[in-house]
Amino acid sequence: MTPQQTQTHVTAEGDREIVTERVFDAPRERVFQAFVDPELIPQWWGRRADRTTVDKMDVREGGEWRFVTDGPDGKTAFRGVYRAVQPPERLEQTFEWEGMPGHIVVETATFEDLGGRTKVTTRSLFHTTEERDGMLSSGMEIGLSESYERLEELLAASQRA
Amino acid sequence: MVQYQEQLDRTFAALSDPTRRGILERLGRGRATISELAEPFGISLTGLKKHVRVLEDADLVRSEKTGRTRWCSLGPQDLAEVQRWIVGYRLMLDERLDRLGELLERTQGEKA
Repeated sequence: MTPQQTQTHVTAEGDREIVTERVFDAPRERVFQAFVDPELIPQWWGRRADRTTVDKMDVREGGEWRFVTDGPDGKTAFRGVYRAVQPPERLEQTFEWEGMPGHIVVETATFEDLGGRTKVTTRSLFHTTEERDGMLSSGMEIGLSESYERLEELLAASQRA
Repeated sequence: MVQYQEQLDRTFAALSDPTRRGILERLGRGRATISELAEPFGISLTGLKKHVRVLEDADLVRSEKTGRTRWCSLGPQDLAEVQRWIVGYRLMLDERLDRLGELLERTQGEKA
């Protein structure tokens, strides 16, 4: 393991969320830029052993991204959609590995100005297949039966009242 | 489904610690003894064994004793696909941020 030049705090919040905090010795604009500049992405995004190329990167709300990585384990790709782009404070996007489609991680990065240095907090929320179905509204039946269950609970509760 | 959810909870708990992630990263390159694992982290063998226990409970690592030496390796190959995906994601996230720090250091002084 390489020694960290900055301190990292990691907490697991909630059941399926990974949170990391890291301080970079660079101004906030530069750190944010690294996340949204297609020329900088290949220089840091992905594993060290892989070579990353940007296939698609439309940094605006609703815009799509797709990065291809090539390395010892072969070629694969990651994709997602930008959900919030607020330079230089916040970036929210979905993340999906094409090797396991349907398992969506919602990644939020916030950038805090510490006067020349920048604290980056990343939150990665993993969605189960059921939640994914709800998100893409393709799981109408699940959603409906849940609604009915809730309705039943509500009715049962109001009966007791 | 409940069992699956418990499995995921254990995975997330096991991954929440940087030492345990370091152990997984190391074992990804091949099996190792307890003392080999303890060395780079500068922690006691007892401390390291506790971390290994958490990883074993989550099925991320398994260990077996040969003579007086306990060998650790990555967990069962039938590990749930989703669990492996989460582990891979977690390790990749750390590596991304490491590399981002290096890039920012390399390009210090250049315009934003």
